Amino acid sequence: MSLLHATWLPAIRTASSSDGPALLIWADAWKVAEPSGPKETPAIHPFALDPENLRIWLKSKNLLPDGIMDASACLTLPSRSINQKIQRNKTSNPEIEKNNDPEWIGFPLQAGEAIPKSPEWWPWQVKGLAISPSNATEWISKLPLSGKHNYLGEELRWWSHLQRWALSLIAKGRWLPQVELSRGEFYPHRARWVPLLNREDDRRRLEELAGSLPLVATCALPWKEGAINNNHLTTRLRLEAMREANPVASCRPRSGRLRVANLLSELIDAQLRKSFTKETSGLDPLLQAWQEALGSETGIISLPDEEVKRLSKASLHWKEGIAGNVAAARACLELVTPVKGDELWTLQFSLQAEADPTLRVPAATAWAAGSELLQIGEVSVENPGEVLLEGMGRALTVFPALERGLENPIPESMQLTPAEAFILVRTAAKELRDIGVGVELPPSLSGGLASRLGLAIQAEISTNSRELTLGQKLNWSWEFMIGGITLNLRELENLAAKKNPLILHKGAWLQLRPNDLKNAEKFSSAQIKLNLDDALRLTAAEDDTLMRLPVHQFEPGPMLQGVLEQYHQKKAPEPLATPEKFIGQLRPYQERGLGWLAFLHRFNQGACLADDMGLGKTIQLLAFLQHLKSEQELKGPTLLIAPTSVLTNWKREALAFTPDLQVLEHYGPKRSSTPAELNKVLKNIDLVLTSYGHIQRDVDLLKTINWQGIVIDEAQAIKNPNAKQSQATRAIAKVDKTKKFKIAMTGTPVENRVSELWALMDFLNPRVLGEEDFFHQRYRLPIERYGDMSSLKDLKARVSPFILRRLKTDKAIISDLPEKIELSEWVDLTKEQKELYKKIVSETLDRMSTGTNAQHHGKILGLLTKLKQICNHPSLFLKETNIDTEFINRSRKLQRLDEILEEVIDAGDRALLFTQFKEWGNLLQSYLQEKWKIEVLFLHGGSKKQERQAMIDRFQDDPRGPQLFLLSLKAGGVGLNLTRANHVFHIDRWWNPAVENQATDRAYRIGQENRVMVHKFITSNSVEEKIDQMIAKKSKLTEEVIGSGENWLSNLDVNQLRELVSLEDNEL
Amino acid sequence: MNNSTFQSDSNQNEITTAISNEGLSDQPWWVEQWMELINSYRFKKRLERAWTYARDGNVTSIRFEGRRVHARVQGTGEDPYKVKLWLDVLNDEDWQYVIEALIEKAKWSAQLLAGIMPSDIERAFAASGKRLFPFKLQEIRSECSCPDKANPCKHISAIYYLMGDRFSEDPFVLFQLRGRTRNTLLTDLAEKRSQALTNLINAQKQDISEKNNNKDYPPHPAILDPSLWWKYDKNLNADLVVITPCLGEDTGLESAGDLPLAEDPKFPNAKQKFIAHLLEQGKIISQKSILQAMSKED
Repeated sequence: MSLLHATWLPAIRTASSSDGPALLIWADAWKVAEPSGPKETPAIHPFALDPENLRIWLKSKNLLPDGIMDASACLTLPSRSINQKIQRNKTSNPEIEKNNDPEWIGFPLQAGEAIPKSPEWWPWQVKGLAISPSNATEWISKLPLSGKHNYLGEELRWWSHLQRWALSLIAKGRWLPQVELSRGEFYPHRARWVPLLNREDDRRRLEELAGSLPLVATCALPWKEGAINNNHLTTRLRLEAMREANPVASCRPRSGRLRVANLLSELIDAQLRKSFTKETSGLDPLLQAWQEALGSETGIISLPDEEVKRLSKASLHWKEGIAGNVAAARACLELVTPVKGDELWTLQFSLQAEADPTLRVPAATAWAAGSELLQIGEVSVENPGEVLLEGMGRALTVFPALERGLENPIPESMQLTPAEAFILVRTAAKELRDIGVGVELPPSLSGGLASRLGLAIQAEISTNSRELTLGQKLNWSWEFMIGGITLNLRELENLAAKKNPLILHKGAWLQLRPNDLKNAEKFSSAQIKLNLDDALRLTAAEDDTLMRLPVHQFEPGPMLQGVLEQYHQKKAPEPLATPEKFIGQLRPYQERGLGWLAFLHRFNQGACLADDMGLGKTIQLLAFLQHLKSEQELKGPTLLIAPTSVLTNWKREALAFTPDLQVLEHYGPKRSSTPAELNKVLKNIDLVLTSYGHIQRDVDLLKTINWQGIVIDEAQAIKNPNAKQSQATRAIAKVDKTKKFKIAMTGTPVENRVSELWALMDFLNPRVLGEEDFFHQRYRLPIERYGDMSSLKDLKARVSPFILRRLKTDKAIISDLPEKIELSEWVDLTKEQKELYKKIVSETLDRMSTGTNAQHHGKILGLLTKLKQICNHPSLFLKETNIDTEFINRSRKLQRLDEILEEVIDAGDRALLFTQFKEWGNLLQSYLQEKWKIEVLFLHGGSKKQERQAMIDRFQDDPRGPQLFLLSLKAGGVGLNLTRANHVFHIDRWWNPAVENQATDRAYRIGQENRVMVHKFITSNSVEEKIDQMIAKKSKLTEEVIGSGENWLSNLDVNQLRELVSLEDNEL
Repeated sequence: MNNSTFQSDSNQNEITTAISNEGLSDQPWWVEQWMELINSYRFKKRLERAWTYARDGNVTSIRFEGRRVHARVQGTGEDPYKVKLWLDVLNDEDWQYVIEALIEKAKWSAQLLAGIMPSDIERAFAASGKRLFPFKLQEIRSECSCPDKANPCKHISAIYYLMGDRFSEDPFVLFQLRGRTRNTLLTDLAEKRSQALTNLINAQKQDISEKNNNKDYPPHPAILDPSLWWKYDKNLNADLVVITPCLGEDTGLESAGDLPLAEDPKFPNAKQKFIAHLLEQGKIISQKSILQAMSKED
C-alpha cells in the first residue's frame, strides 16, 4: 500500500533558478527493487510513486491538491546498506568503471520497516508533486487532525497540527508585517508576514512541535534536478559534501526549533499574503511599496536598497518590543518567599530552557559561561549571557521594579518589597510571560488550581460493604485547603480580615481571592451529605468540584479505598473462585474477570467485558451466570443477544461448561410469539439466546418479559444508535431499568471508538454520558474532528470504570496463556445452505443404492467435497462468480469469518486464511477486498513461482503489507515462512489434522514473536462436525484417516455414510 | 508616532509650542531631546522656513552612510542642494571608556540588546568625557551646497527636523553617527563583559567550563532511532481544538503600537491609514481563518 509523505522544499535561488519554497508531496510503496546508490546525482528512490500514478492515487483518495507541478527533490533518508561486492572485472578499463561505481549501495528505509543494525543516511532523488505555499496551506487544512490513516504518513498529521496552529495565530492576530533583507546574491528583498511567538503558550507549542518533528518533513537538500549541466561544481555530489549536507549529521538539537519556526512563518506568510487586499490610497512610496509587496505573490519589494534597509530596521524595531528571537532558553525570574521574620522577598534571576521549564540554571552560571555554549540538561544554549540580558531588557518594560536589580554588572538576584511582590504575582507575571520572560512563583501563589481555595476530604464507608449501594451515605469530614495548607472557617475569616493581598499562614504564603470567603461560608452552612456515588465521581477526574470548591485532597478510609480502587481499576480486580457447578477451571485472569463482573453487579452497574479475542469472554460470562445461580441470586431468565453466526457457539459452550444452566433458544420460526407462550416456556429457564435480527422483530414481545439481565455479545452491533437493532436492544434494556443487570461483550477496543461509545453506555448505564446530543457536542465532535485530548481524557475517566479490556500481550495474562491458542468457531447453516445440503445428500444416497464399491468411492468423495463447499458458501457449490449485496447473508460461516476479521484488521494483526477450494479463495479475495477496502493476497497452485515469492516477501517485509493472506491448503500448507501472521484460519476442515497443523506452522514457528491464534471453523451437525469429532476422539477410524488419506472412505457402507453426512436438523 | 499636530497646525508661528507641549509628548525621550535641541536655535524665522521645507517634502532623500548623513533638499534652484551632516566621532579610546562604563550596569546592556535606548545612557558616555547627544546645536557639523552663507541654513535645518523622526525608527543611528553601529557596539560589549567576568568569577568559571568543555553536540535523537524520521504520535494540543479570535487581549498589531517610521510630509496620515488598513484586514482574515477552522470536514 502506498503511504503519502509531505516534505518542505526550501527556496532554491541560483543564477539559473528562482524556485520559491514549496511543499513536496510524494508516496512510497513496497516493491521488489535493485539496490542502488548515489553517483554524480543522488540515486532514484526505488519505491517512490511516479507523479502520474501519484496524481491518480491522490485523486482516488480525494486528496489531489490544486495547482500542482511535477517535481523532483533530493531527500536525506535513513537507508539500509546492501553488502555487494562490486565486480571490477567486467570491463577492461577499471578506472572508468570505478568512477561510475557508486560509493555505496542499498535501499532507503520506509516508514514502519524494521531498522537495520547500522542505518546510514543517504540522499535519494524523489519524484512527486510540488504545491505552492498558499495551496499547500489549503491542502494541509483538509487533512485529518487525529486518528490513524493507513495511507497517510504520520508527518502529515504533524503538518496538520502546524497548520492548525498557524490558523490560530492568524485568528488571534498574532503576526506583524516585516521586511526581510536579501540573504544573498539571488535573494530579493521581500515583504513578509511573520508570526509573533512571544506568548507562553505559543513558545511551549513551538517546543512541542520542534521536539516531535518527524524529520521527513524537513529532510530536503538544496539540490535541483537538471542543474548539473549548468553548474557542474555545485551539483556534483561528493561523499563529503553529502555527509555535510546531511541534515542529521549537521543538525544540532536547537535547529529543530528554528526550522519549525521557519515553516510556521512560511505557512502564516502564505495565508496572509493570499488573503490580504491592498486598497489604501494616499500612502507614501515606502508604505505603498510595502503594502504592494505584502499582497503580491512573490513579496518582492521594489524600492532602492537604502529605503528597503530603512524600512527593514523600522519594522524590526517595531517587532523587537514585543517578541525576541527564537532561542533555546529565556530569562526567568524566580520569586522566593521571605525568610521568617523578614519583610523583603527575593527575586532570583535564572536562565530557563524553553523545552522544559523545570530545567533552569542560576544567572551566575549563565554569566560564567559568557558567550560559550551552555548546557542546561539536554538543551544547548548559545550566548547564554546575552539571552539572559536581552530578556531582562524586555522584562524592564513591564516590570519597572526590576531596574533596581540591574545596577551591577552581573546581577544574580534582587529584593522586592511586599507591594512589588504582589504586583508581580497579580499582574506582571502574566505580562512577563507574554513577552517571553519566564516567571516562577512559589507553588502556593502560582495561580494554579492548588493555590485556589478548595477542600480536603476524609471519608469512609459506614456499613458492611456487602450491602453497599451507590446512594450509601459515607462518614466524612472536611477542611478548607489552599496552597497545600488546611485551615478552618475561623482561620479563613481572620486571614481575610487582614486585608493583606499576600498572607503568611502556617509557613506558606497564600493569596486570597475576592469571593473565597463567601464561597467558604456558603459551603460551611450547606450541611452537605456525601454518598458513595459522590466519592466515585470526585475521585474519577482531577478537577472535580463540590459546590464549586475544588477538591484538593480526598483521603478514603481502608474500606472505601478498596471500593474506589476496584472501581477505578487502579488494581487488578479481585478474583472470584470458579463456581462449583462450572465444568472446568477458569484461568487466573478469568477469575479476576468474573470478580469484576460480580463487583459491578453488586453496585447495580452495567459492565462491558472487552477482553481481546481468544481470552474467553464467553466462559467468563457463563461462569458469572453460574455464580449467580449458585448463590441463589438467579431468579429470572437472562436474555443474551448475539449475531446469528455465534448463537451455535454459545449453545455449545453453555452445554460444555455450564450444563447446570437451563438454556432456551428464542430463534427461528418455531419460537414463541405471544407473551403467554413465551412466559410458559421460560419457566425454570436461566438463559435465553436470541439474535439481533429477532430483537428487532420481537421487541414488543420481549419487552413484556421480566428479565433479570440483558447480555449483548459482539456489542459493536449496537454501535449505531439509530439502527433498529440498537434501538430495540436499548429499549428492552430500559424497561424497569434499575432491576436488570446489563453486560456487554466485545473484542474491539471500544474505549477508543468514541462514536460507538454512546449507544454502548446508553445500554449499560444511561446516565454516564447523558443524552446523545450532549454527548455529540461535548465529546464526539471535539475528539473526532480535532483530536481533543482533554475531552478524550475526561470521557475515558467517565467510562473506564465500566470497561474491562485485557490484551493477550498483557504481562499478567501472558503467563496464563499458551503460545498457541486453538479456537473452534461453531457455525450453523443458512436456510439456503441447509436446503442445498439436504438435497445433495438425499440425491447422492439414492443413487448409491446401486453401483459398485469403486463407483461408490468416487461418489462419496464427490459428495463430501460438495457438502464442504455448501458449508462454505452456496455460491461455491453453485459455481457462481458474482458477488452481490446478499453474498454475506447466504453463509453463516462467512458472516462469522467477517466478524472475526474485523477485529483482526482493526487490531493491525495479520492473518493466514487456508481453504482447500481455489474457487472459494477467489470469491473470498474479491469479497474481502471490496468489503474492507484492503488488499488481500491469494497464493494457490496456479500462482507462478515469481508471484509466490513476491507475495511472501511482501507479506513478510513490506512495512505496510497486506494484513490478510489467503492460501490454498495444498499450495501454501508446507515450506513457507509466514511468521508475521499471528492468526491462522482454517476455513474448511481437512481429514488429516497433520495437514492442518503443518499449515498452522507457517505462522507458528521459529521467528514468531507473538501468540498465534488458530481459528477452526466447524459447521455444527454437518459433515464438518463429524470430521472434528473423529479427529478429537482419535477413534480407530481417525487413525485410519491419518494413516491412509481418503482410502478408508471406500470401505464405508451406505448407512455409515449416511451417518457421516446427514444433517442433524434440530430446533434451529 | 503621532505627527498629526504637525499637519493640522497651519499657524507656523506656533511650531515650537506645538512640538514641546503636545505633538511629541509621547515620543521616545531621545527624539524629544533632539527636538529640544533644534528648538534652542535662536533664528526662529529660519526654523519656520526649514519646517515648511520639511513639511512640504522638499527633502528628497536622507541616507545614513557610515558616520555621515547625506541628504538632498530641493531649494529654489533647479537641482536639489546636497546636505552633509555629521557629529564628532568618539575615538577608540573614548569608546573603550564608554564600553567599560556600560558594562558596569547590566541594565544598559539589557536594554540595548532589547532594542531600547537607556534613558540615562549619557552617564555612561560621561566616563569618556564625551556625550552621545550633542549638547549644543553647534556640535552638529554640516555642509550645504546652497549659496546661503549662514549655517545652519534652512536646508540643513530641514534635515534636523527629519532626523528626529529617523531616530525614532532606529535609536542606534546615534551610535552610528558617533562611530559604532549597534552590532559592533554589542559585539564590543559582549567581549568586554566576558573579559570582566573572567576576572570577577575566575574560580567559578573554571568549574563550569570544565563541565561545558564538551563541544560535541549530543547526537540528534533520530541518529539513535531512525524511525523518528516518520514518527509523530502526538495529539492536537487542547488549545487548538477551538480556534478563537483574540479575546480581551491585544493582537500583535495592537501591542506593537506605533510603527516607528518617519512620515513623509507629502503624504499626511499615511502611516495611520496603513495601520488602520492592516487592522481592518487582520479582522477580516481572522474571521476567515476561524471559519476555515470550523468547516473542517470529518
